[in-house]
Amino acid sequence: MSSTPRKRPAPDALVAGGVVVILIALVAAVFLSGLGSSLYPPEAATKQAGEIRGLYDIVFAVAVAIFVVVEGLIIWSVLRYRRKPGDDGLPAQTHGNNLVEVIWTLVPTAIVLFLFVISWQTLNSVDTVSAKPDIRIHAIAGQFAWQFEYLDANGNKVASQLTPVYDTDTGAGGMAVPVGRSVQVTLDSPDVIHAFYVPRFLFKRDVVPGQTNRFEFTVDEKEAGQVFRGQCAELCGAGHRSMLFNVIALSAADYDAWLQALIAKSNATPAPPTGDVVLNLTAKDIAYDTKALEVPADTPFTIAFQNQDPAGVPHDVDIRDASGAVLANQEPINGGTSANYSYQGLPAGTYTFICSIHPVPNMTGTLTVK
Amino acid sequence: MATHALSPVAAPAARGWLYGWLTTTDHKKIGIMYVVNSFIFFLIGGILALVVRTELAQPGLQFLTDEHVYNEMFTMHASIMIFLFVIPMLAGLGNYVVPLQIGAPDMAFPRINALSLWMLPLAGVLLVSSFFVGGAPAAGWTSYPPLSLDGPLRSPGAGQDLWIVSLILIGTSSILGAINFLVTIFKMRAPGMTLFRMPIMVWTVLVTSVLVLMATPVITSALVMLFIDRNYGGHFFDPVGGGSAVLYQNVFWFYSHPAVYVMILPAMGVISEVLPVFSRKPLFGYKAFIFATAGIGALGFSVWAHHMFTTGAVFLPFFSLLTFMIAVPTGVKMFNWVFTMFRGQLTFSTPLIFALGFLTMFLIGGINGAFSASVPVDFALHDTYWVVAHLHYVLFGGSVFGVFAGIYYWFPKMTGRMLGEGLGKIQFVIMFVGFNLTFFPMHMLGIQGMPRRIADYAGDAGWNDWNLAATIGGFLIAVSLLPFIWNVFVSLRSGKVAGDDPWEANTLEWATSSPPPPYNFDHLPEIRSERPLFDARHGRAEH
Repeated sequence: MSSTPRKRPAPDALVAGGVVVILIALVAAVFLSGLGSSLYPPEAATKQAGEIRGLYDIVFAVAVAIFVVVEGLIIWSVLRYRRKPGDDGLPAQTHGNNLVEVIWTLVPTAIVLFLFVISWQTLNSVDTVSAKPDIRIHAIAGQFAWQFEYLDANGNKVASQLTPVYDTDTGAGGMAVPVGRSVQVTLDSPDVIHAFYVPRFLFKRDVVPGQTNRFEFTVDEKEAGQVFRGQCAELCGAGHRSMLFNVIALSAADYDAWLQALIAKSNATPAPPTGDVVLNLTAKDIAYDTKALEVPADTPFTIAFQNQDPAGVPHDVDIRDASGAVLANQEPINGGTSANYSYQGLPAGTYTFICSIHPVPNMTGTLTVK
Repeated sequence: MATHALSPVAAPAARGWLYGWLTTTDHKKIGIMYVVNSFIFFLIGGILALVVRTELAQPGLQFLTDEHVYNEMFTMHASIMIFLFVIPMLAGLGNYVVPLQIGAPDMAFPRINALSLWMLPLAGVLLVSSFFVGGAPAAGWTSYPPLSLDGPLRSPGAGQDLWIVSLILIGTSSILGAINFLVTIFKMRAPGMTLFRMPIMVWTVLVTSVLVLMATPVITSALVMLFIDRNYGGHFFDPVGGGSAVLYQNVFWFYSHPAVYVMILPAMGVISEVLPVFSRKPLFGYKAFIFATAGIGALGFSVWAHHMFTTGAVFLPFFSLLTFMIAVPTGVKMFNWVFTMFRGQLTFSTPLIFALGFLTMFLIGGINGAFSASVPVDFALHDTYWVVAHLHYVLFGGSVFGVFAGIYYWFPKMTGRMLGEGLGKIQFVIMFVGFNLTFFPMHMLGIQGMPRRIADYAGDAGWNDWNLAATIGGFLIAVSLLPFIWNVFVSLRSGKVAGDDPWEANTLEWATSSPPPPYNFDHLPEIRSERPLFDARHGRAEH
């Protein structure tokens, strides 16, 4: 500094010491109270997530250190250099100091270069895909549901999972993967941009129409039996928040059984219509062909449902009462396929039939029971 | 100082008060109207934010039952805050201050200046009218195609088109304003006002104008292409017709990342005026600060794809490195500000209090932004509430606190009256607490996996408490504006008379009366440094 030395070094040291102690105490309090842990990502579930977590911890430590130093300087200046009564003369008019300015240019440069290099190293490790992954899954994100196609080593589809959310009661639904084996996911969208995001993977990747993205992960062995939440992370329209899915981590044996069951289900022929009352309903261009259906009261009935939208656009026909409670929850079917949905008899009244994946006016109709 | 105007050759016909304001070409009146217009849209955008926060206070859809309406709310909130509040608010402060600070009688093109202003309320009315003609735009302020294209489940209706037209109008206003600023700064400086004697505020407006001039035409092209795609069957961005969805993102962010600096650099300029005055010291490292500003502007053009790290379609290391590098000039500025206070004599008037709020909040906004420069960490954070926290720490904690510092600082010059100190400090405390209560918990929400732009979340996800805190904070921010509005109202009627130079300031705007006469100056002091008034007060020897 080119300014004259201060006459009162003692208050300087006291204030500086006080500020440092208070800041360190604050940071310590935040972490001891458990608030600090909420600034950490959730526990990493994959090998790749573990590496990202390690990187995060370094970035976080550097960030906290920089915050404490700079914020300490601000608070110290504010406390120490208040204008006091009797401060009539001007303070030293310091215009700058080349040495400190060079230092505070070079030191941050070194810090960010260090962060860049370790980030790049981690990137090269977590963002690679292998030619021969153990498991291949083709995830299709359409407005507003996910579906997961399981592929063989040649990339041919062996089974489809059209129910993306895991049901804790029935065990149905979800994208199962084996732990300890590399899983490669390819991502496609038939409509708008979505994003595959599993918080415990510390990872997301956009699903861009017209472009196939892919990424790879290996779930840690200790996670067998866990169910992870996943969700679309790129605004995709009025059903964005309901584009949920689950990833189920299974041991190798459990996974094989799970996949065989899914293959059997995928290959099963659609059930024939049951009962005497059969209604026809078709979905095309994300719209039902009729908005009004009528059935007799207290009589089971069947809807022969055709989905004429392209593959990747699933639909279903659920029934809800006036309050919105779901009375019949059918499994969605993919575009280009058909199904016979069976329903229990309903008491007389007015109900809503609706596509749970596209709860929009074009896919909402009135079911009159009398 | 004398307060009478330079007499024009022919006196204009006497006009009414309102007519005078509506037809004025005086940069000071235009600047004030910019500020008032922007503040009105700040209130509208704020109400929309409260609607969003009310819906998110608890899990479940309670307040807005239609998710599409929710999407309209945050889309309009961001569009209004960015394009009709922050950018024009700072342009308005610049409009008022820049000619005064360089000793010029007005902007170079006064009529074009008026045109720039009047395009803004028109664009604002167009944008807001979308609520009444079939629904507001709902594809986010970024309006990524294919979601923003025409079609069921996408963006049918006129709202998205009105959004496009409104943004093109605002962009044109910005371009005209930028040219006006550049010509004014380069051609209208008073004798002695060399480039390296210009106040930092003028420098930040200069760099901002270059950014606007180079970037705004690019987003205009993207908006025109989007309009063609929507209305005339173009396929620029529609993969079904051979277009590219990611192309739009590249073009959009090529503007919108520099736009972030358009929204923060002039606020940094305000802070760089306020800190020296209230520390009674010159800005530490004046030239380094200017080079840092220019450096941020230049680097700002090479980091746009850091908004697209998860698209799988950009070269990651390049944009990661340059994004990290922006921390260096930003850090230089932070140290310059802190060392301006260091060994100074600080007077805690309201402008300085808001400037200190800026320093602390912008420090957090800079640090939490560096997380996203690290690509793998960004894979976890992108499109979560972490990003919402980051951008509000920069644009609210930075820009808005800077704007209020500027309003408290220049209000005496604009009106001749001081704003009340007590109400100003009450406003600051409520706003500072409310701001941090709203936006700090969003770090936690984001890191724990809550995506942006969702209308609802599961009750068992562990996000309930932080969301409730953020909502309470949001309403506190709204409450903090009440003492401000009351302060302005009371001070205009009966505030303390300011005099020419109430702050013992350094720059030329304080050398004329408050408010200044038309054409600003009767005579100017000698300009021998970046602090001509300091020199006049203390003499060169003190320098």
